Amino acid sequence: MFPRFTFNITHITGALTPWCRFTVFAVFFPSDLNTMNKEARLKATINQKLTETGERERLKELLRAKLTECGWKDQMKAQCKEVIKEKGLEHVTVEDLVVEITPKGRALVPDSVKKELLQRIRAFLTQHAS
Amino acid sequence: MKMEEVSMSSLDNSKLEALAQDILSDLVEDACLGLCFEVHRAVKQGYFFLDDTDQESMRDFEIVDEPGLDVFGQVYNQWKNKECVCPNCSRSIAASRFAPHLEKCLGMGRNSSRIANRRIVTGNNTNNKSESDQEDNDDVNDNDWSYGAEKKAKKRKSDKNPNSPRRSKSFKHKSSTASKASQDNEAHAPPKDSYTASARPVGRGSMLNIAVCFSVPLIL
Repeated sequence: MFPRFTFNITHITGALTPWCRFTVFAVFFPSDLNTMNKEARLKATINQKLTETGERERLKELLRAKLTECGWKDQMKAQCKEVIKEKGLEHVTVEDLVVEITPKGRALVPDSVKKELLQRIRAFLTQHAS
Repeated sequence: MKMEEVSMSSLDNSKLEALAQDILSDLVEDACLGLCFEVHRAVKQGYFFLDDTDQESMRDFEIVDEPGLDVFGQVYNQWKNKECVCPNCSRSIAASRFAPHLEKCLGMGRNSSRIANRRIVTGNNTNNKSESDQEDNDDVNDNDWSYGAEKKAKKRKSDKNPNSPRRSKSFKHKSSTASKASQDNEAHAPPKDSYTASARPVGRGSMLNIAVCFSVPLIL
């Protein structure tokens, strides 16, 4: 006889960006969630709280505003132009841009912006820790 | 065990910091991805390189800030733009009178359309008139060219009409009050057989009868 496994499918719908809506079907196999790592569960809980309270969207908006203000967006657009000229206007794809731009984007985020956002995130975590 | 049941109270500083960093990296990743999608869309739609300009062309289109020149660097005459040429009759008209003239010239307003209709009717009736005569007639009808007519009209308005309804109302009111007063006087007047002499009404147009009383000493 084959061992019987039950499937527990949780349906998570989120928004990566305003342009890209995605739906993820997370399949946990077997269904007993106790085997799942505690840290992963904790992270999932925090992400859920962030989404439910609307704090994630607020943080996104704040980050966008700060990055535009400090000139990060213009720098990134300049980098994108270089990539497009290199690859060719007709042949450039989203994957090319993501691969080339994302590491540079992470590196170019100013420390002041990072500090401010970390402070907000810490405040949220301490508030919901109780 | 549900996801919500996981308590966050057991978080120490190191775990909290790690979680915060993780969330921050997610947010930065989102921002980068968003920018990539935006740029890719702009490239495919064809408006990504629209704002590209070289320095030479920028110099050509710089705003000029010099006396006697406009923002484009062209010399402009201050008096030139105070007169307009009518597109309909090709006359040079003062800018302040251009809009009223155009209204009458094109025949689009209420009064001007009536004038235009009249002109058409008169034009149909008298075909033997020359164009110059018709132009003269137009000038007569056009108030833009005859300032005297407007002034006269204004004067006429300012003159007060003596037979205005307000005046007549006030007269009526006065006469009614006067008649009431006379009736009251007659009611309170002493008897006729006593030593009183009633004088005639004094004053022009007066409605009041003034009774003059003389006290005569009685000799027994």
